[in-house]
Amino acid sequence: MDFNLSDEQQLIQDSVERFVSDRYALEDRQKAARAGAGYAEENWQTMAELGWLGLPFSEEDGGFGGNQVDTMILMEQFGKGLVLEPYLASIVLGAGALRYGSNRALAEAWMPALLAGEKRLAFAYAEAQSRFELSDIATTASSTGDGYAITGQKSMVSNAEGADAVIVSVRTAGERTDEAGIALALVALDAPGVSCEHFPTVDGLRASEIQFKDVAIGNDQLLTAPGDGLEALQRTVIDGILALSAEALGCMEMLYKDTVAYTQEREQFDHALSDFQVLQHRMVDMFMEYEQCKSMLYRATLEVAEGLESAPRTVHGLKYLVGKLGTFIGENAVQLHGGMGMTEELRLGHYFKRLLVIDAQFGNADYHLGRFAA
Amino acid sequence: MSDADRDFQNEVRSFLSDNKYPKGTDYNAWRLDWFAKARAKGGWDVPKWSKEFGGPGWSPTQHYIWEQETARGMTPLDMPFGVGMLAPVLMGYGSKEQQERFLPAIRERTVNWCQGYSEPGAGSDLASLKCKAELSADGSHYLVNGTKIWTTMAHIADWIFCLTRTDDSGRKQQGITFLLIPMKQEGIEVKPIITLGGAHTVNTVYLTDVKVPVENRVGEEGKGWTYAKGLLQHERTGIAGISRSVVALEKLKEQARSVPCGDGTVLEEPGFRSKLAALEAELMAVEFTELRSLATAQAGAAPGPESSILKLKGTDIQQRIQKLTVEAAGLHAAAWGSAKAGPKFGRSGMQGYLSSRAYTIYGGASEVQRDVVAKNVLGLKRSNSTSD
Repeated sequence: MDFNLSDEQQLIQDSVERFVSDRYALEDRQKAARAGAGYAEENWQTMAELGWLGLPFSEEDGGFGGNQVDTMILMEQFGKGLVLEPYLASIVLGAGALRYGSNRALAEAWMPALLAGEKRLAFAYAEAQSRFELSDIATTASSTGDGYAITGQKSMVSNAEGADAVIVSVRTAGERTDEAGIALALVALDAPGVSCEHFPTVDGLRASEIQFKDVAIGNDQLLTAPGDGLEALQRTVIDGILALSAEALGCMEMLYKDTVAYTQEREQFDHALSDFQVLQHRMVDMFMEYEQCKSMLYRATLEVAEGLESAPRTVHGLKYLVGKLGTFIGENAVQLHGGMGMTEELRLGHYFKRLLVIDAQFGNADYHLGRFAA
Repeated sequence: MSDADRDFQNEVRSFLSDNKYPKGTDYNAWRLDWFAKARAKGGWDVPKWSKEFGGPGWSPTQHYIWEQETARGMTPLDMPFGVGMLAPVLMGYGSKEQQERFLPAIRERTVNWCQGYSEPGAGSDLASLKCKAELSADGSHYLVNGTKIWTTMAHIADWIFCLTRTDDSGRKQQGITFLLIPMKQEGIEVKPIITLGGAHTVNTVYLTDVKVPVENRVGEEGKGWTYAKGLLQHERTGIAGISRSVVALEKLKEQARSVPCGDGTVLEEPGFRSKLAALEAELMAVEFTELRSLATAQAGAAPGPESSILKLKGTDIQQRIQKLTVEAAGLHAAAWGSAKAGPKFGRSGMQGYLSSRAYTIYGGASEVQRDVVAKNVLGLKRSNSTSD
């Protein structure tokens, strides 16, 4: 098997690497995180101009004919830079859900503006009680004849601030935890009855609680046939997990490399810390677990891109490893940096916090291990 | 437990419940009053002080009971630096004048102390510290120049007890001098360090040409390391926090029970449940390790190398409880700022978890603790060891 990048992919990787090294010094990142919608508008436009927003979409959707492998290349580099722009929310999840939905007219109406960076979407799948179960949905969409009225609350929605509309998982029929009776709906964030509470998250990103009170939408705003939305939801989330895992891999690489560098500089007991065997072995473990995550990411990404039947289970295995080992690498990076690892001054703490948040998104290590074993 | 111990336990319980903080009142006034009342009980304000210095003279079992009962957080906030860390040094090595001058205010909690040990280049390897103290020609004072780091509560402290370098010609453990320095004076600058949870508790302290009268030196010049080493043992025992972990684990169960998961709660989630159970079993064992260690100390001997085991196990358990709290809050543990998302304990859980990563770093990093156990308990030797 050939795991090398194609020439085209290599070009993209180089260009994202440059973007990160030009725009993402920690200080700039922290400044952008605190301003506006929590990221730099200018960066988003650059991503659109460089064609990154359309990268993983077919030409018929206005993209460049790439797939999950291309997203992986981007997201891994984004992870290294702790990039804030809403690529996951608006492109992987937002545009991704439109792609997996059956409503072509809606997709055609939104895709060009999304991939040009002119419009942005958020993706609201979680609720206060849903824990990590995608099909646990209390938000209802009741038929009003020519459309639906949506009522309920979505929780921890990434990058709703600065977005034009949100894709919401809703229940058109059945009980709260039924797998049938689910649909995806596109709702403008300025529609009457929608209210948002925006707040920062511990990793410096933004999230929102979104309340829907009798929000009227047309039939043409459903992405799927009513009650038939679970598959599109799952496929979107699988892409989301792959993208997040690639981002996590970028964070892990920076953490183990920063730790290897720091322990060679820092002297205690008349030796560089890296002279102590116990610390060497710990760093070998960090490196090994990073490589394990990388292998599993490649495996899962290729299986999904090829549409293999085994892919969903492999993705569960991937998210389990990324959650568990990301925490392992992060905790040890802090430990080996000693007091310095506890400060906001060094970048390692920020990677660590990002990995902690990634663990819980779309289900934590325990959840995915459970699904993997099932 | 004997009948006398049971009586003691009941007495402690009623004291604590009779003296709870009345919400809405002046916290500091209550705090000072609480310690005065505890003192009137016969030295309950300074449980670990010897009888000679006004402590209660409890048996190890009584200490254990006190720890267990007070772990429920019904006592006022109390920093360990004065009562727990400096006082034993003054009692052991300070002059009569120093004891009379400093111990009463430490005991009454009216003067705040901080600890000036670590330096940018001296963390786990504390003895390599460089903060310089030069004795004046007339022998009346020291001139201190240097930097201390990770100084907890330096921004509110009135005094700092400081390890300084008075001689760098011999072994690095020699030539260290223990000085007591007022914080509120020219030449001392305190700069906050913001830690991962966004909190400000630790600081960098810069000392520039600070004049310290020679009466503020504890013990002999150049012997500070010996005094500090005993102190570190005290610090390590305190850090284990085993009784507090027992309480924290109970709280964690309640928190997990409050978070819905499918038709049940997170407490019933198989992965979570098995990690929680493993923690509980280990905690039960380490509780008895602590009791065994207390029994050894019955004769009043200083805690020995077994206190290193307690710190290692105790801090590991504390960190895992914090991690499970974050896991219980799920997605919502990430909510920051003034967000009202998910369970109330989400944000404090994340903050607690991030802060807890320091437990295995300060007071002797876990790697150094293991070296201490390897050397002192197992009798092992290595070429580049961290222990002395």
